[in-house]
Amino acid sequence: MDNQTAFLTTIRTALDEVPNAERSKKMFPQLFSSPDTTGILKKIRGRTVEEQTELVKILRKNGNSLNICTHIVESFKEAAAVVIELIRTKEPEFNYTKHVIMHDHPDIAALQLWNRFNREAVTLHTTFSRDPHIRDKTIASFIGITAPAIIVADSATLIQITEPGRPRSTSLLPSIHIAIIRRENLVADLAEAYALLREKSRLDSFVFISGPSKTADIEAHMVHGAHGPREVHLVVLSEPLSAQGFEKAPEEMGKHNDSNLMTTSS
Amino acid sequence: MTSQYRVDAQKGIGSPRLQASLHSLQDRFGKGAMALWAGMEDKDMRKRVKKSRMKNFEHLDILLAELAQNVRARGGNVYFAKTAQDAIGYTLEVARKNGVKRVVKGKSMLSMEIAIDPALEDAGIEVVETDLGEYIIQLAGDKPSHIIAPCIHMNRRQIGELFAEKLGVDYTDDPPALTLAARKALREKLLSADMGLTGCNLACAETGHISLVSNEGNIRMATTMPQVHVALMGMERIVATLEEHRETVQLLTRAAALQKLSTYVSFLGGPSSANDPDGPKEFHLVIIDNGRSKILADPEFREVLACIRCGACLNICPVYGRIGGHAYNSPYCGPIGAVITPLLDGINKHADLCKGETLCGACKDICPVQIDLPRMLAALRHKLAYGSDRWNTRQHNPAEAYAFTLWRLLVTRSFLYRTFLKIGRFFQRPFVHKNKMIRKMAGIGSGWTDGRDLPPIAKRTFTELWSQKYNKDLAAQPAVTEEEI
Repeated sequence: MDNQTAFLTTIRTALDEVPNAERSKKMFPQLFSSPDTTGILKKIRGRTVEEQTELVKILRKNGNSLNICTHIVESFKEAAAVVIELIRTKEPEFNYTKHVIMHDHPDIAALQLWNRFNREAVTLHTTFSRDPHIRDKTIASFIGITAPAIIVADSATLIQITEPGRPRSTSLLPSIHIAIIRRENLVADLAEAYALLREKSRLDSFVFISGPSKTADIEAHMVHGAHGPREVHLVVLSEPLSAQGFEKAPEEMGKHNDSNLMTTSS
Repeated sequence: MTSQYRVDAQKGIGSPRLQASLHSLQDRFGKGAMALWAGMEDKDMRKRVKKSRMKNFEHLDILLAELAQNVRARGGNVYFAKTAQDAIGYTLEVARKNGVKRVVKGKSMLSMEIAIDPALEDAGIEVVETDLGEYIIQLAGDKPSHIIAPCIHMNRRQIGELFAEKLGVDYTDDPPALTLAARKALREKLLSADMGLTGCNLACAETGHISLVSNEGNIRMATTMPQVHVALMGMERIVATLEEHRETVQLLTRAAALQKLSTYVSFLGGPSSANDPDGPKEFHLVIIDNGRSKILADPEFREVLACIRCGACLNICPVYGRIGGHAYNSPYCGPIGAVITPLLDGINKHADLCKGETLCGACKDICPVQIDLPRMLAALRHKLAYGSDRWNTRQHNPAEAYAFTLWRLLVTRSFLYRTFLKIGRFFQRPFVHKNKMIRKMAGIGSGWTDGRDLPPIAKRTFTELWSQKYNKDLAAQPAVTEEEI
């Protein structure tokens, strides 16, 4: 702390303030004042289905120009079909076996992927927070599936917040990132997204993801897949959960399959 | 003696490859950013962000204390480093305590400013740059020449040969194949490193996060996979609130690469929590002064701290666009480098930089936070012309000062001036070439004729011609002033 005091004293000297008189933020209430976001929040929460559908269209359009693949589906069943198709058709980049890693999230559990791969050489992993082997499983995986909390239509940005059971590397190490998102979690622009972030107390780390990893360092030639995923797929659930009478509540799904290794066959 | 600046500048001008890539870079990003500003709906955004940057400097002590407190509350460590040496010492100590063998770096110009790489290497630690451009530069043992496109001076053939030699892959000049080769090689390094070392684009005091932008994902890798993350932050790279962060980061990515947002914007503010399977177990934020408080103290130059290092001024500067980045001999090149390099590292030492720029004002026009770089370039020249105690600057060229004193005497006395011209006309005769131009002058005069021919002193001055032609009218009418013409 001593070097902090000396450091801040230097700054106060540079600013022509009294060097040794520590200043507190209470003396400048304007400094950390932020605009009132209740209006923005009200707007987000009051969106009609039509407005949300419009946002999905904007997201798809803006995502296209960033090389994001958007799949709009009506139900979890359809969503599962999209994901299964991707797992079957894509080839692993760094090894020869198909491992898939998924966040511990009710919307991902609701896809019931383990039911679909019991006769194929596909290994599914879920990032339960107690599992000590998640790092190795993630490194081995060619597809990572997450369910980001906020999606920004204007910049086609996924906001992935680190939480227990939802580690950072799932959307980073695998070659393909699939994000399962709900129409009602879309916001129009970054101002709305930041208003939602402000609401969350004690934020851990989080990341904005706008498209696949890319580089243009060699002769300004755009190449996708520099260090992160080379493909990003958005699966947009356009039907609110309540409308899907035939599906079980997602919370129950999670409890059903309390194992790390869902299905293995090779 | 020819300065290194001139030698490197001439080298840059003489390289057709560099000229071609600088031209296309400026054509795309320079013009693109100007078009973006012109078409922006929210015309006040740049002004607003600049204002908030300047306001925050007035309360910098409070903001930094708040940031430190919030990072510590999350279990992170914060160290305040007055000098480059302090920052290096602290980082080495962290590395030693954790038995670090390999460090992966996310692009950080500050790390180059404080020269931490050689210090780590001397301690027996392998240092790997992970930004593709920086990695290529590192493999080649070269220096970066642009803030966001470090290897703009190399072409795909050179990079292909470099990879074939250093990475043992088959030669190819296909950018996707080369990127893939680097992806594989760097993935191994990133997954096995013990420490990630990054900079900080923008810290947010109220939430206690640093944020980093990247398109490749190397920053995310370097801050997620190793056990230790050390972030080096210039003390001026801070905003108070999330709202300020949003506007500032948008200006950054727009100005840098015409993107609404970069592919990744990472917010990090501590070690991973107990439940987290990945993320660093230790997080260290090193807040660095290294000469910045001196800039802060000088009202003439404080504005330059508002820079968010987008590199846009490089994409429009007519001087950078010809000579390239190497001539600046600094981690910071282009117009912004021509101002901060002398301020951080000595005005006399980098005297050529401010003199080399043209003061055309393009950098001010393109700057997302409208920093008046031309004004500060002129101020630096003033310091060089007259010396400055505050900046410990001596008069750069006393001979030049004498010459200008004499020149002033001469041009303010018309008889002397005319006599001087007559003498000049007489002595220039042997030098005037067949094309009626002076092609070569000797000594210090050669600077005027090396790159072009110089017209000789005219037989008559403009005033003489004028009075000869309009003499009779002049007698009859009052003098015509320039405005009326």
